Amino acid sequence: MYSRGWFMVQSVLSVRDLRKRYRRSDPWAVDGVSFEVPAGQAFGLLGPNGAGKSTIVKIIAGLLRADAGSVSLFGSNPGDPAARARLGFAPEDPDFPKYLRAPELLDYFASLLGLDAADRGRRIPETLAFAGLQGEKRQVRHYSKGMKQRLGIAQAILGRPELLILDEPTADLDPLGRRDVRALIERLKQSGVAILLNSHLLSEVELVCDTVAIMAKGKVLKEGTMPEVVPQGKTLEDVFVELVEAAGAKREDVPSFIDERPSAQ
Amino acid sequence: MAVARYTLTELSRRRILLVFLIVGAAGLLLLGGGLRLIYQYQSSNPASLGPNSPATPADLNRLLELLFVSYLFGALGIFSEVIAFAIGMTAIYHDLDSGAAIGMFSKPVTRAAFAVGKIAAALIALVVIVGVLAVEARIVMALFGGGLEDALTGQVLAVVANTIVVMLIVLALTTWMNNIVAAVVAFIYYNVVTTVISALHTLTQQGVINNDAIKFVFSVAYWIIPHELTSSAVGDLVRAEMKVSTAAGSSQALSAIPPASGLGDIAWWAFVVVVFAGLVYYSVRRRQV
Repeated sequence: MYSRGWFMVQSVLSVRDLRKRYRRSDPWAVDGVSFEVPAGQAFGLLGPNGAGKSTIVKIIAGLLRADAGSVSLFGSNPGDPAARARLGFAPEDPDFPKYLRAPELLDYFASLLGLDAADRGRRIPETLAFAGLQGEKRQVRHYSKGMKQRLGIAQAILGRPELLILDEPTADLDPLGRRDVRALIERLKQSGVAILLNSHLLSEVELVCDTVAIMAKGKVLKEGTMPEVVPQGKTLEDVFVELVEAAGAKREDVPSFIDERPSAQ
Repeated sequence: MAVARYTLTELSRRRILLVFLIVGAAGLLLLGGGLRLIYQYQSSNPASLGPNSPATPADLNRLLELLFVSYLFGALGIFSEVIAFAIGMTAIYHDLDSGAAIGMFSKPVTRAAFAVGKIAAALIALVVIVGVLAVEARIVMALFGGGLEDALTGQVLAVVANTIVVMLIVLALTTWMNNIVAAVVAFIYYNVVTTVISALHTLTQQGVINNDAIKFVFSVAYWIIPHELTSSAVGDLVRAEMKVSTAAGSSQALSAIPPASGLGDIAWWAFVVVVFAGLVYYSVRRRQV
């Protein structure tokens, strides 16, 4: 729960002082991160590569164990299958059992979600149509990255989740696919679904997210509603670059040899 | 159930397993058919029977059948182990390695249900493939008149039981390491370490090694390794060969053949299976993806 004005808003997801590192000798991949995601809102988790965003969403989805801190998913631990039943997760770079076909894969995941035969019969064709894979007869191993990404989103919405985590959902999609994902996020928000969006595409985040957290080196640098984070006259990209570079995550300059011109022989 | 069903669907589409099945089935047909052709030729040309040949064509037929069965026992053991490795190396590892497990583990399925589904699918696939080869072998044996079907059944059961243990070891190891490394480790553990420990344990039991410390070490070591189950098939085969062959071995050869496993051995096998299945579950439970 967190307060907004006079109201106490029920969070579907609450992350508190989360810490995680992969090896004792490594720096913290996630270092004391806290945030909340209320129902019906889209929360954008932004940061450069290696900021710890994917680690956070994997902890929330019960795939990784945190070293410290806590995650409350619908009031439970992410290890609780009942909590995960209300979660949809579209991972970055999704992959699937490669010898299955898309309808089989969705049937498999629908069975894991506990959907009955009637629900499976209704939802799977519609989800396949949404993903543009309704006529696809090939096994998943023959799919392009974009097709796998669409299938990843399809399996994430199949259980009609109350919290949808999208980790770089549009990285491999064409402009039409990106537009469809934006429309999906809007529709889900309107129906009360909370969205946790993890993306590099700041223009997209600006379009769909109500709240954002900008991260670098495992820490949250700034968090708030979009107007709180992005002042008048600036873009989200301006703020992002300023914060990330101030945190010492500035990239090296372009290599010097790029300016060299081929000498005439 | 869904994990087992779709793992089986995947396994049924893996070409490597299909190739092993086809090679095994074709090998059995060629071996049985070839020996049958030799019999047809020899029985239609009695003059070609040599001084050490069985007295009658019926005895020759029986000898060729026994030859087929003895090769069959060896081939079944090798094929079962190869298939167990092929299934064990892929059933869980491919999901973990490709990242497919991310989608599955984020669903409301417990790691226990996932492990049970994977083990069930692997067991069913192994039993079906070896079962198909065994049925084919039985049909080929019928061409010779049969008579050793019970021995074949016993041998198939022992072979499947032993390869289940290997497969579970590989399944557990693949959740910790690369599947090829896992297969090598499992092979060395099951085929080298256990053989050496069993042999040395036998020597200590027979009094060949009398050092108390060594006896104690191998008595303990013997009970932390799987014990291969044996059927009475090899003994049955040797006895049958001694009946028909003019160059039959002595009863000393018969006494060197290990006896069929008893209830105690089967109970130990069941315990080992439970332990390794538990190890598969523990590995899957601990695995972060």
